[in-house]
Amino acid sequence: MTDTVPGRPAIPAGPAADPPPDRRHEPPSGSEARPARRRMSPMRRREALLFYLFISPWVVGFVVFLLGPMVASIYLSLTDWDSFTEPVFVGLENYVRLLTDDPVFWQSVGNTFVYALVAVPLGMIIALGLANLLNKQVRGRRFFRTVIYLPALVPIVAGALIFKMVLAPDAGILNRGLGLLGITGPHWLLDPFWVKPAIILLSLWGTGGATVLLLAAMKGIPRELYEAAELDGASGFQQFWRITVPQVTPVLFFNLILGLIGAFQVFGQVYIMTGGGPDNASQMIVPLLFSEAFEFFHMGYASAMSWILFLIVLGFTLIAFRTSRLWVFYEAEVDR
Amino acid sequence: MVGPASVSPASPGLSRRTLLGGLAGTGAAALTGCSGSGPGESGGNKEPMVMTVWGGDTDKIAYQTRLDALKQAHPDLVVDLQMIPSGQYAQKVQTMISGGHGPDILELAETINVYSSKSQIVPQDEYIAEAGLDLTGQFGERMPQYFQYEGRQYALPDRSGAMITYWNKEHFEAKGVPAPTDWTWDDLISYGKELTGDGKFAHAGFNWWPLWMSLIHQNGGTVLDPESGQPTLTMPECVEAMQFVQDLTYRHKIVPTPRDYQNWGPDAGGDSMFAAGNISISTTGFWNIGTLAKAGKIDFDLAPFIAGKQRAVCASFNGLAISRTCKRPKDAFTAIAFLTGAEAQRTIIDLGQDVPANLEVQNSEQFLKPKWLKKDLSMEVFPESADAIFVPPLIPEWNEMIKAIDDSLAGFWQGTEDAATALGKAQERVTAVFARSRR
Repeated sequence: MTDTVPGRPAIPAGPAADPPPDRRHEPPSGSEARPARRRMSPMRRREALLFYLFISPWVVGFVVFLLGPMVASIYLSLTDWDSFTEPVFVGLENYVRLLTDDPVFWQSVGNTFVYALVAVPLGMIIALGLANLLNKQVRGRRFFRTVIYLPALVPIVAGALIFKMVLAPDAGILNRGLGLLGITGPHWLLDPFWVKPAIILLSLWGTGGATVLLLAAMKGIPRELYEAAELDGASGFQQFWRITVPQVTPVLFFNLILGLIGAFQVFGQVYIMTGGGPDNASQMIVPLLFSEAFEFFHMGYASAMSWILFLIVLGFTLIAFRTSRLWVFYEAEVDR
Repeated sequence: MVGPASVSPASPGLSRRTLLGGLAGTGAAALTGCSGSGPGESGGNKEPMVMTVWGGDTDKIAYQTRLDALKQAHPDLVVDLQMIPSGQYAQKVQTMISGGHGPDILELAETINVYSSKSQIVPQDEYIAEAGLDLTGQFGERMPQYFQYEGRQYALPDRSGAMITYWNKEHFEAKGVPAPTDWTWDDLISYGKELTGDGKFAHAGFNWWPLWMSLIHQNGGTVLDPESGQPTLTMPECVEAMQFVQDLTYRHKIVPTPRDYQNWGPDAGGDSMFAAGNISISTTGFWNIGTLAKAGKIDFDLAPFIAGKQRAVCASFNGLAISRTCKRPKDAFTAIAFLTGAEAQRTIIDLGQDVPANLEVQNSEQFLKPKWLKKDLSMEVFPESADAIFVPPLIPEWNEMIKAIDDSLAGFWQGTEDAATALGKAQERVTAVFARSRR
């Protein structure tokens, strides 16, 4: 990468008559080990310049608006700070209290895990199924594609209000439907157990975005694969399981990563639908963090909470990346 | 006018706190997906001052009209109005002050002592004395106390009115029930049973702190011990009052359950269901008058809050404070004194915004017979309730305390836990909140 840095003098290569010694089995040492560099052509230099020019707004934005506050929040997480008066350094006290003496935090962590670990896989399965159906040659599929994507465009506030109506204990359409099947529906938003599935249901409503991505991926699968499978006598399910699914795993992986990050940061649905209630049964990490920072004025404590959340998200993302080689199939890998 | 020498000692240039405030505000805003913006430079003699308030369109017009009047009376005092949605108010103002560019004048209510206890707003006693204001004469005995902390006055009352009873005249006449002008708890139960039926409920309930706390005070209870400041939620007077509240729903069945409200719709509450004619009595603040009068669907009138062993009622309230970042606190006080004075407060009536805190205006014919109100309403309930108003314990940990109590009462409102159990839980949690904050 360094040989693309503009403005650096190129390091002259050794005399052409003496071929460089074979150092494959030796560690590089001193300046002798440096690879030969070519002078950049004006075009490449211009390209590099443009690269820096175009990336600079993002880099500046990242450093000023993200990296700066992130570094500050590490320090703040080690302080008792009400966001008004001088922060008082307390060492790891915030972390210790969070991990050992804050039942509401642990309850929120548990709720967030339930939400993320159910809503994300379930959303992926539903999106995969919907995309597969929309990929069929059926009449009116354009209409269905629009209908399925539409909820993804509805603002979360409107979606949450609609769901409040849908989930009403007796008057709601969901419990009325269950009633027709002879099932007595729960008091969704009032019940400490069922309030979490209710929020998960709201999240599933927005799977249109993931569906569209999967549909695009399915469109890109070579037709010959299916034709060959058909000739070999593969059933519809076998074709789906052995061809479609492996071919779209990169998009599934993308949806998984973004879904996990989004799910661990769930805020709007909780804030609008339940406010975290009843009695914190639907409280999640970010709404709690928001309350601690902006309602209870414990900015240092909230900062510590945000770093724990960061580590959780990082952990799950790493697990997803590490395991991805077992199940994500990239076509380029065939060449290896 | 105040020269540079009078800059508040608590308003540094770019201190560590300012820098951290800005960074933390940005970080938290980035994390929570909320955006914040400062008002730009404030201060300097020729710069306009900034006043932050929350509310809707009527509030905006009412404040702007009063600020225009201020400009006419004091041409050198220009105040820019900044409306912030109520859900984001605390966050934005907090970020603005932390960043060193807080508003000069800010509207505050329950959280006033978060700001006063941390010296984020400045005491106004000196200016009050200098201007010769008689707060008790102007606002009554209790209202100024809402805005006092450790004996100092941190805001002047702007709007304040007791919680009152709204009653549906048609429902009452149909059942032959007398007007609830002097009802006790027992009256509510006995007449409530007559009013309930045919899918209608007698009362909207008391599931908001100014309402249930009023009943606790009526029963001789308190939420906090005035001496020690420790929670006293399990005292028999509190338990009895709260059990009365729960019995209205689950024993006497004259108040809807949370389930009933959810079945009515996503935004159904006492005010809206009273307006829809599903509930005969609703206890709330002034704001419902305008909504009901405008809708014109039901024939209603006003009455005082019901009375227990003694009269006690909480008021809706907000006051105007001066932030620590204000560079011209004396000018800001002049503006506040004008806005809370009789002349400017008449605008509050003319626009039907709220109950003006100024008693002279509250007792005026203009308030008792407002020109925007086509029908005759017993507006005198507001000045008549003034002597029953009590001061809630607006401690710096107010938000946390109310959250802990609300969480503890979740089962209570659903009828799965009785008052004693729920208040026991609340007592424990509030004690834990205080143990943490008062270390």
